Amino acid sequence: MHRLLSLVSFAALSSAAATTYPLTLQDDLGHTVTLRQEPRRIVSVLPSTTETLCAIGACDRLVGVDTFSDFPAQVTRLPKVGGLYTPDIEAMVALKPDLVVVSKYGKLQESLTAAGIPVVAVNPETYDEVFTKTLVLGRIVNREAQAKALVVQMRRDIARVEILTRNAAHQPSTYYEVDPTPYTAGPNSFIGVLLAKAGALNIIPASLGDFPKISPELVVQRNPQLILGPTLAAAKARPGWSSITAVKTGRVIAVPPGSTLDTLLNRPGPRLPLALARLAKLVHPELFR
Amino acid sequence: MNEVERQAGGAGRTESPEARSGRRVGRTVLLLVLVGLAVLLAVSLGSVNVSPAATLQALWHGLLGQSLSGDEVIVWQLRFPRVALGLLVGASLALCGGAYQGVFRNPLADPYLMGVASGAGLGATLAVVAGWNTALIPLAAMVGGLLSVSLSLTLARVGRRLPPVRLILSGVVVGSIFTAVSTYLLLLTEDRVRQVFSFTLGNLAFGGWAQVRAVLPYALLGGGLLLMLARALNLLQLGDLTARSLGLPVERLRLLVIVAASLLTAAAVSYAGIIGFVGLVTPHLVRRLWGPDHRVLLPVSALAGGGLLVLSDLLARTLTRPTELPVGVVTTLLGGPFFLYLLRSSRDE
Repeated sequence: MHRLLSLVSFAALSSAAATTYPLTLQDDLGHTVTLRQEPRRIVSVLPSTTETLCAIGACDRLVGVDTFSDFPAQVTRLPKVGGLYTPDIEAMVALKPDLVVVSKYGKLQESLTAAGIPVVAVNPETYDEVFTKTLVLGRIVNREAQAKALVVQMRRDIARVEILTRNAAHQPSTYYEVDPTPYTAGPNSFIGVLLAKAGALNIIPASLGDFPKISPELVVQRNPQLILGPTLAAAKARPGWSSITAVKTGRVIAVPPGSTLDTLLNRPGPRLPLALARLAKLVHPELFR
Repeated sequence: MNEVERQAGGAGRTESPEARSGRRVGRTVLLLVLVGLAVLLAVSLGSVNVSPAATLQALWHGLLGQSLSGDEVIVWQLRFPRVALGLLVGASLALCGGAYQGVFRNPLADPYLMGVASGAGLGATLAVVAGWNTALIPLAAMVGGLLSVSLSLTLARVGRRLPPVRLILSGVVVGSIFTAVSTYLLLLTEDRVRQVFSFTLGNLAFGGWAQVRAVLPYALLGGGLLLMLARALNLLQLGDLTARSLGLPVERLRLLVIVAASLLTAAAVSYAGIIGFVGLVTPHLVRRLWGPDHRVLLPVSALAGGGLLVLSDLLARTLTRPTELPVGVVTTLLGGPFFLYLLRSSRDE
């Protein structure tokens, strides 16, 4: 297994070449974007993009980030340029970037393009996109070899966890709560895929979509053995929930909003293997002693 | 007589008073049957299929306080209290809407007129954004709602008088300010937008017996008070001056109605979120079919509002089951077209 992975990584590294500029690509907003030269002053307005750029050795090229970018530590010292719905476009322009990497959402693209600043939308959302978008970012900033190496490293770390969870004797049926509305995560969502790889059986069927608002009746009926999201006290206080196995056995694990675990599970970036490892340890404490 | 009364009175032009009252009784019986049916349907249908026999058995076991098994838990601890909360909240909102429309003599008045919803929304947003325990959200909403109403009342007061136009204006503006603050807070923490949004669209998903017990005292107290004021509200329709000359303490009545309705609405909103339209439209529907007498209008509105919300919530949780729609969207989609149909089919101008 290891030898195979090394072979793959060797092949991946050797096929990576320096990016040639001008570089033309289609971004996640469907725009055809042309970068005339290698970007050296980059503003990132998506925390996962910030992490990926740093993980492929382009951290020193960041000149500004959004208010939610908080990892790695060195980006917290960079100028903040607002959030998704409250972007500070003047601050972005004032940083004289030669590239702003935006998400699919918000309306930054038009005003920045009008100001003559190259904009590219890179927006990983699903599990698979984490890897493809890492490679796209690598191409954009001329760090293709590093991006490929990162992807190989991530896949290797994921395989290390999966090898244990896949062969677990028992996979607990699990309910993951995104917020107490209650919104939950379907099996095809980013969190849903991580749950499956962590060795949990999601009680939510894929047909309901990625982030369905479900009826609490469904959770009581499916009777999960593990609940992730609310605190045990909150779950107990809900009508009828004290009859759920997870609540009876105390297997309710809080994922407080803003906690490290919450951030990891909601950030489709290079710390995906870490998110998976943390999750797997919660789902299968017996496998990770 | 105001516009609404004239329209309602118009229906009786060709009938004797006895025939009219007979029709009103008939309609009330029909409404009772409909609400009863809605409750039955709402208890037996849901995201999980439970047979009618099992539903009855669950209700029986629940009423006797016996231990429940499997699907019985769903019927007795999730579905039935949710229906009861829907009835209670719908009735509260419709009752307050009817009282407000009477006390302000304004057909656009709804329970949120004095800013109670925006205040409750701000309270709930604060609680969510600050990451407080979810059990504290209703409390924060209640405090916020009552705070914004007190603010509107204080600002509208001229000496000892509470002029309706000033009340409405200060209510609307205080509401706007509170909403602006909530929106700003929300943008600071984008990841919790959905949770707050679900509050502003109404959510009965976690309505249990505890919530029913929490809302019930306010509903009984506030609702009872409003029902007792029905006769005074009838007099008030003659105008402030006439009502005053007949010995009605107009200012005190207005204050009393606002305080009672605010308590009632704040309690309902705290546990069910800001459910729109029920409070605005139900009294209009009832006024068209039962006439403008508040002694009839208020209790029938309460019954109809409860039924409308139970039915809306039933649709909200079954149309796309096992996922749920926001109940506020359903109330509007259900009540809106029905109201427009009544409006179009009426022969009056």
